[in-house]
Amino acid sequence: MNLLLLGMNHKTAPVEIRERLNIACTEDFNPLGEILEIPGIEEALYLSTCNRVEILVRSREEAAAEERLKALIFRHGNLNREELARCLYVYRDEDAVRHLFRVAASLDSLIMGEPQILGQVKDAYRQAVEQEAAGIILNKLLHRAFRVAKRVRTETGLASHAVSVSYAAVELAKKIFGTLKGKKILLVGAGEMSELAARHLLKHGGDQLLVANRTRERAIQMAADFQGTPVDFDRLGESLREADIVITSTGAPGYIVTGEMVAAALKRRKNRLLFLIDIAVPRDIDPRAGNLDNVYLYNMDDLQEIADENMAIRREEAARAEEIVADETGKYLAWFNTLAVVPAIVSLRDKAAAIIAGELERSNGWLRNLRPEDREGMELLAQAIVNKLLHDPMTCLKEESQEGAARAYVAALRRLFRLDGPGKEKGDS
Amino acid sequence: MDFYLLLYRLVLGAYLVSTLTYMFSLLSRRVTPAKAATWIMTGACGLHALFLAGQWLGKGYNPFLRIHDILSFFALVMTGVYLAFQLRTKTRVLGVFVSPVVFLLMIVSSIGSDGTLTAPAVLQGWLVSLHAMLSVIGEALFAVASAAGLAYLIQDGLLKRRQASRLMKLFPSLQDLDRINHACLLWGFPLLTLGVVAGSIWARTVWGAHWQWDPKQVWTLAAWLIYAVLLHQRLAIGWKGHKTALLSVVAFVLLLAAFLVEKYFFTTIHQFY
Repeated sequence: MNLLLLGMNHKTAPVEIRERLNIACTEDFNPLGEILEIPGIEEALYLSTCNRVEILVRSREEAAAEERLKALIFRHGNLNREELARCLYVYRDEDAVRHLFRVAASLDSLIMGEPQILGQVKDAYRQAVEQEAAGIILNKLLHRAFRVAKRVRTETGLASHAVSVSYAAVELAKKIFGTLKGKKILLVGAGEMSELAARHLLKHGGDQLLVANRTRERAIQMAADFQGTPVDFDRLGESLREADIVITSTGAPGYIVTGEMVAAALKRRKNRLLFLIDIAVPRDIDPRAGNLDNVYLYNMDDLQEIADENMAIRREEAARAEEIVADETGKYLAWFNTLAVVPAIVSLRDKAAAIIAGELERSNGWLRNLRPEDREGMELLAQAIVNKLLHDPMTCLKEESQEGAARAYVAALRRLFRLDGPGKEKGDS
Repeated sequence: MDFYLLLYRLVLGAYLVSTLTYMFSLLSRRVTPAKAATWIMTGACGLHALFLAGQWLGKGYNPFLRIHDILSFFALVMTGVYLAFQLRTKTRVLGVFVSPVVFLLMIVSSIGSDGTLTAPAVLQGWLVSLHAMLSVIGEALFAVASAAGLAYLIQDGLLKRRQASRLMKLFPSLQDLDRINHACLLWGFPLLTLGVVAGSIWARTVWGAHWQWDPKQVWTLAAWLIYAVLLHQRLAIGWKGHKTALLSVVAFVLLLAAFLVEKYFFTTIHQFY
């Protein structure tokens, strides 16, 4: 198959090394051009993200290519041999195919199931196409990789369970409100996590943000950052009536939102659903508020637990994804193997067609006397006999190609049927 | 085989397959089978409508006279209403509650549906059909409302438990379920009311009295009152979510109990239904 994959990822290489290689490769030179200059390399793909660097090539001389590629990484990454040996993995043929499929399906990612990697693989492939580095083998391989990613996304839950606290909040909000469109979000207090959650909620359709802070200036400033509206910190009860999703993260020692406040707000908001997210430690919202009908209260621990449980679900789903990868790897190999027998089959068919045409031509003398429909029947008969005769050897050849014994069979076929022409045959014997 | 019999069996089979597929979706906690089930159900609904329309228009057979046909019509309306909501909100797994009910209705309806029955003279006229049709549509809407209510209670419980679960991810959002519940009550109530009014106008022409205190009428009145209260609380007081879901489930259970009790323990002028 002559596929060779060299790479390093977040598991094998520390971030300093990946960084160095990454910067070196993207800024200083165009790696594809240089890779293609290595003799024997016919196709190449270069993928680099902040978590991985992968070089995939098809080469006629694998051993030489591997050395040259290592030297290239060595040079540009400014690494010593020892570091390189520790960080680099090398896959060949079937293993290379499987690895690429796993990468595209996000099984090999730092956060399994994250969606960006597929886009990055697509970009890498586009670059390879633009630089004419992708031929028939890589084209098929990459399209298969996209297919694997799609199947994993639709057939397994690998990508569909939020594994960060802020995304868990978005997922819950969607289970409560369906769509976040038109939902008002109230952000109380400041903090990295709460602001991130607010940003995610806004990105997923939430369209109005109210900001409350004990310091009025801070509220105004944050409101400006988020294009939201500052509201009075001392009149949170009022804002509770308006908002659908409330995120709190103040440094207050006690509860700033009491059960009574929520109950009163609920009455005034005519029992519209209310989602309270308490990210503060110590907590900002009285846990009794969560017992009220139509109020859903989650604190930091709840969200973290959900994110962890989702990670466990993703790991379960990964097993199903691996099955898809194995299945598709098998299919790709099967396709690749038939590739070896295709030319032989084509020449066999051509030869058969030539024989039929020749024999019909020779018998033209008496065939001419037949009625046109009989002549046609005659031609069909000849065709049918030849097809029947060739059917078994061709099927057998395709099957044998899967067992890895194609070369011997192709050679035998070429010799038995003299597919390489009489001249060459004489030379051989 | 008779074309209509074949069609009927096809409809029955499709409902069964869709029910099983929905069940599978629930058990495997995956949404893909539910998507397939929705398509199967859509097909079943189309064939079912074709069957009833053919019977009614083609054969000139009034489908609102016998209990079997009424049940079949009930199932059709329920399916249609559910699918209409499914189009607007992607509440796929709600079908888990709707499809078995529909299938059971069809099974009950198919028992003894052979043989023809000539309705007594009093049960003829367009007003009877109107009465039956409107009441059935109203009650089918209540049935969907209660299915949405049940799903709401389950999802509400899951969200209150504060744990990640595949079931929670599979179930529709609270707001969508509440909206379905609301819309079904809003449409079901006036339709049932009109159905009852049509019935009483016709009763007056036949028996000389609008109201007979017939057991079925009493039960229906009780259910009507519960739904009136429910709708009032929703619209005027602003009840939403958990409470309405609970009450609409309870109300429908009462309605169902009424149906069974009066059918087996009372004699009624509604004996045909």
